[in-house]
Amino acid sequence: MKLRRYVSGAVLAACCVFAVPLAAHAADLPPLSHSLTLQAPKPAPALKLKDLDGQTHDLVRLRGRVVLINFWATWCPPCRREMPSMERLSQALQGEAFSVLAVDVGEDADTIDAFTAQLDATPTFPVLLDTRSRALQAWKVAGLPTTFLVDRQGRIVASAIGGREFDHPDIIRAIRELLNR
Amino acid sequence: MRLLTLTLLAVWSALASASTDISVDAETGLTTWQTETAGIQVRLTQISPDQARAFYLARGFSAAAAERYASECVFMTVVRNIGDVPIQHRLADWRYESAGQPPRPIRSKAAWERRWKQQGVPEAARIAFTWAQLPATQTFAPGDWNQGMTSYSVPRGGTFDLRFAWRAGAKTHSGKLEQLRCADEAS
Repeated sequence: MKLRRYVSGAVLAACCVFAVPLAAHAADLPPLSHSLTLQAPKPAPALKLKDLDGQTHDLVRLRGRVVLINFWATWCPPCRREMPSMERLSQALQGEAFSVLAVDVGEDADTIDAFTAQLDATPTFPVLLDTRSRALQAWKVAGLPTTFLVDRQGRIVASAIGGREFDHPDIIRAIRELLNR
Repeated sequence: MRLLTLTLLAVWSALASASTDISVDAETGLTTWQTETAGIQVRLTQISPDQARAFYLARGFSAAAAERYASECVFMTVVRNIGDVPIQHRLADWRYESAGQPPRPIRSKAAWERRWKQQGVPEAARIAFTWAQLPATQTFAPGDWNQGMTSYSVPRGGTFDLRFAWRAGAKTHSGKLEQLRCADEAS
């Protein structure tokens, strides 16, 4: 991890060079939404991936918790913009039966560290590596970012396509309703 | 006949209510076109050749492959559901038309994928390319949106009209952005 942090610093500048030009001026950015689309519960596909430190995370082992699963990449502008709100959401629901898993598509740990090192608050939730985008395909993701909400029974109950402000009261309320069931 | 009339009326009303906002980023000089009609918002922002090159070189493309993509007219494209009902997006239904050319479909991700494989672009770079493009198909619930690149075979500084289409309920709708201009090499 220390080595990765060191390398991260070295590649940070390069990451900024390539990421920023594709994002328009802040005032002109497409706004983030705050809606979740509820759906009839259906079993979530398998999700078993390694995180940045090589530790394996399996969605099945989070049964009994409400889980927010976000598919993203560092070069995806709305993904970058929504990431801080996901950390704030995670903090807001700390101590409750709620977890966040961020699944990065096709990138390595150094690239991800270079991005998260720029954030005001480094994500405390696991960032998983879907190097060959197999998980995205299994979850039938068509575009980034895409987010799913999985209930305590391991069923997808809501989704969100496109960037969100995850700590918006509407989203926190929806998650609390699931936690209280 | 009645169905045809209703369809034409629906299309006409969609077009009639659309207006296009055009803005230029003071910092980059790049132009954005945005229109809203019948529950959909479509927004295209120029991507300069340098930006396209840099982006794909950073993702692992060879210089030749990155140059190939940068030679296209590339836009960052946003599709957003601003209505109350789900909409079905299918990029294959979009058409663009430049002077003296018949309407053409946008080159698909699958077509690009074949080209990149032939050019030996690494898998990781191809994965990044695939996910960086506007999705080929998507169902947008109210509030949903996607952002991705679309590319057009139009020369630098050239202009074209884009007709986008989507389905809502059982109806097919379409809208149009006119006189979109490709970024210059120097943008």
